[in-house]
Amino acid sequence: MKRAAAAGAAAAPSDLRVLAGWLVDFARKCGADEAEVSVVDGRDFDVDVRRGRIEHLVEAGSRSCGLRVIKDKRTAYASSSDLAPETLRRLVRNAVRRAELASPDACSGLAPLAKTSIDPAALDLFDPAVASLDSKTKIRLARETERIALADKRITNSYGANFGTSETRSVLANSNGFVGEYEQTDCELSVGLQAGGTDDKVEDSWFSAKRHFQDLATPEEVARKAVERTVRQLKPRKIGTQNVPVIFEPTQTSWLMGFLFGCVTGTAVYQKASFLAGQLGRRIANGLVTVVDDGLLAGRLGTRPFDSDGLPSRRTQVVEKGILRNYLCNTYAARKLGLESTGNADGSGVGPNNFYLEPGKTSPRAIIAGTKKGLILIRALGHGLNSVNGDISRGAFGLWVEDGEIAYPVSEITISGNLGRILQGIEAVGDDLEFFSSVTGPTIKVAEMTVAGQ
Amino acid sequence: MGAPKTNPSTDAFRAQDSPLPYVDHFHLDPADLRKVLGLALSSGGDFAEIYMEHRAYDFVNMEEDIIKETAESVDLGLGIRVLSGDRTGFGYTSDLRLEKIEGAARTAAAIASGKAKAAPRRPREKRLPASVYRVSAPADKAGLRKKIALVREAYEAAQKSDGRIAKVKAYFQDSLSHVALLNSDGLFVRDTRPMVKLVCVAISEKAGRRELGYWGGGGRVGLEYFRNVLTPRAIGEQAAREALLLLEAVDAPAGEMPIVLAPGHSGVLIHEAVGHLLEADFNRKRTSIFWNKMGKKVGSDLVTIYDDPTIPAFRGSYNVDDEGTVPRRTLLIDKGVVRGLLQDRLSAGLMGRPLTGHGRRQDFSHAPVPRMANTYIARGEHAPEEIVKSVRKGFYVASLSGGQVEDSGKFTFSVSLGYLIEDGKLTAPVKQATLIGTNIDVLRRLEMAGSDLEFGLQTGTCSKEGQDVPVTDGCPTLKISRMTVGGRA
Repeated sequence: MKRAAAAGAAAAPSDLRVLAGWLVDFARKCGADEAEVSVVDGRDFDVDVRRGRIEHLVEAGSRSCGLRVIKDKRTAYASSSDLAPETLRRLVRNAVRRAELASPDACSGLAPLAKTSIDPAALDLFDPAVASLDSKTKIRLARETERIALADKRITNSYGANFGTSETRSVLANSNGFVGEYEQTDCELSVGLQAGGTDDKVEDSWFSAKRHFQDLATPEEVARKAVERTVRQLKPRKIGTQNVPVIFEPTQTSWLMGFLFGCVTGTAVYQKASFLAGQLGRRIANGLVTVVDDGLLAGRLGTRPFDSDGLPSRRTQVVEKGILRNYLCNTYAARKLGLESTGNADGSGVGPNNFYLEPGKTSPRAIIAGTKKGLILIRALGHGLNSVNGDISRGAFGLWVEDGEIAYPVSEITISGNLGRILQGIEAVGDDLEFFSSVTGPTIKVAEMTVAGQ
Repeated sequence: MGAPKTNPSTDAFRAQDSPLPYVDHFHLDPADLRKVLGLALSSGGDFAEIYMEHRAYDFVNMEEDIIKETAESVDLGLGIRVLSGDRTGFGYTSDLRLEKIEGAARTAAAIASGKAKAAPRRPREKRLPASVYRVSAPADKAGLRKKIALVREAYEAAQKSDGRIAKVKAYFQDSLSHVALLNSDGLFVRDTRPMVKLVCVAISEKAGRRELGYWGGGGRVGLEYFRNVLTPRAIGEQAAREALLLLEAVDAPAGEMPIVLAPGHSGVLIHEAVGHLLEADFNRKRTSIFWNKMGKKVGSDLVTIYDDPTIPAFRGSYNVDDEGTVPRRTLLIDKGVVRGLLQDRLSAGLMGRPLTGHGRRQDFSHAPVPRMANTYIARGEHAPEEIVKSVRKGFYVASLSGGQVEDSGKFTFSVSLGYLIEDGKLTAPVKQATLIGTNIDVLRRLEMAGSDLEFGLQTGTCSKEGQDVPVTDGCPTLKISRMTVGGRA
């Protein structure tokens, strides 16, 4: 074996933190005014079990390095999964040279070194139990979940059950003196099912994703929920086109919040790609709506000690009782808008931490009971979300409500509306907030949307 | 379907004294790789494969009137796959030291349990037929200044086209992938795959209303494409045009009505409604609505659908798929009858069907699965105008931004620009709408097909099971007798 790459690697700093620091220094030596380096080292495991047999098993480790250099207010990025020193040196030199070809940008540049920092240990992001889980246990959990689901006679086929884990160590260093490092774990158990015959199939899935193994739902819980979500769609009816109240289940509130997130990022705002540009301090939703981005919630999926600009995580009120209070910004977008960064830097863009709609006091059951006629939205298909004007148009699956009770499932319908009007029209917020993903919310009821059918 | 084309082979590894430039590219010794394959089969796997990839990528973007940033990236790594019956073991590493590669091989090997059945065969290099890539000015050889000039030209064309254009973004990206594949059947094959893409997004504004237009182009071509086929200026102007048209657009109608699909873009419908469900894995597992419909009539006589990975210069094209099969144009549906599936090695083997060359992967860190490449519905006889004229009241789909399907055949797709059809004529432009339907219903209701087959923008990407691959799709003008439009009542 030729060891050109390997021999070099032995001479390089092996520790990721040392490597990051060395690259920052090297970039400065090459002429960069400012430099930032991130290094990620991950270990992933993933197993799919279908009809009781292992179908696919993946296990791997991978490392990657990201780099930003700024020279005369001009920015260049580089990244590599090849951590051989000669590759990294070449990328640094190219980046410094390339920076000269970008335009000077007054808003470019690293974040100033923050006065405070957050102790990763306090955030409870790493579970040694996930890291030490053996393959046999992981395979058994997936197999068990699928077995329980398939035992239900109404289930006619399976997409398989999956168990996956990841352990990641992230390092960030920059030429303003920031160095940060943390480790995190994730584990996820899921199963996808079909019910009905070949020509009247329905499908759904359920999952549990956590940082800690002990918090993960049991195979029974995941299987039961997946079965229930699948079979409730059997024998759907078609309905006529009409305007009715729509109740979003938490999984649906979750995508609606994801869409709202896209509209409150500082990037979308300065690019005028959001209908919420220019609305700071204005009422954009009714008083029941409070939306928060919080990077500090211990043990949650969207929690982290610092963002990719090296700024400490924080809690930001985005919407407070219907009033738009803050856009979510990285350092760059904040400078563009004359605001302060909210610690949402994610790569070179803006990403959510734990972004959620605060729960209300009404139970989902009471929300349904209070609906004379309407649609419970249980799944949506397609990509019809337009942040520029807030328009929403998606394929939908739902449960029809009559006189406060679920009457029958409906399919082959679309829902359409506008996020601005939906936020104004939220007339009930459920008490069932769960952090099943980093962007989430409870059950909500929207006064009116168009449901198109026959 | 016949057997896949076999190509004259030469012994890849005989001439040890003149190492292959390719394997050399990965700093890997052929003898070591053969040992790794042996290790991968050591627990009794039926088949093992090493997929090596080196990808260099460049990016330039412009917004707020400045060249905001440039980026360069390098992806290097290999994935090792072992098949044992219907099971797949997979390991990958971006660290190409032998002990790491051996670690990945052991991970993949563990999918089987037992003693090694056979040693890997002696490798022979497969020579590929004439390349489907069309490059005369390679992007990887061009300086960054040239790429910046393309971005600037598209950006400025959009910005200058009208005072109502409030914001513009434009970006260029190109990549060059070297892939090499060695498997235990003795196949050794390599390919070098170019890709370029130039995109412009324009946002229009009038009286507080904002709309977005998108246009772009590229493919497995060089920078000459932006002179000869689609200029940056045309890309910028088209993005602006769409954004401006939408300012005047009305809300979509709601309910069931006749639909006419514009040629080209509407190929997304074929991709979603039919293509995915004819991927072999979904049929082998019987989750697709088509699994028991091979040879059966599922649509009108006008429905003939192909997937062809060999169309020169197209984004979805490749000389060899990601498991070493030379692809062929594959007939999926012939005059409404299901005739073929998109196969990869695993499904073809288990189903006893011939390979079609549709085993694709996002990169070295994923195992291949059956995927589309360039999917299209064949042309019909009608003049496009005649088709529109046949509709008294309906909806014309001009451009689409994407779609999604599930195995039951229920699908949606998002219309970014449409028109009302009134008394056989296109009238008011219509903004954002969703079409929803069940594939079999739509295939049966295909009433007219135009003589004007076109392909959509060369910028599309398809996602499946977390893997993104470049694709293209196409169709002629089509009329569907009725379909549900999700607009406002």
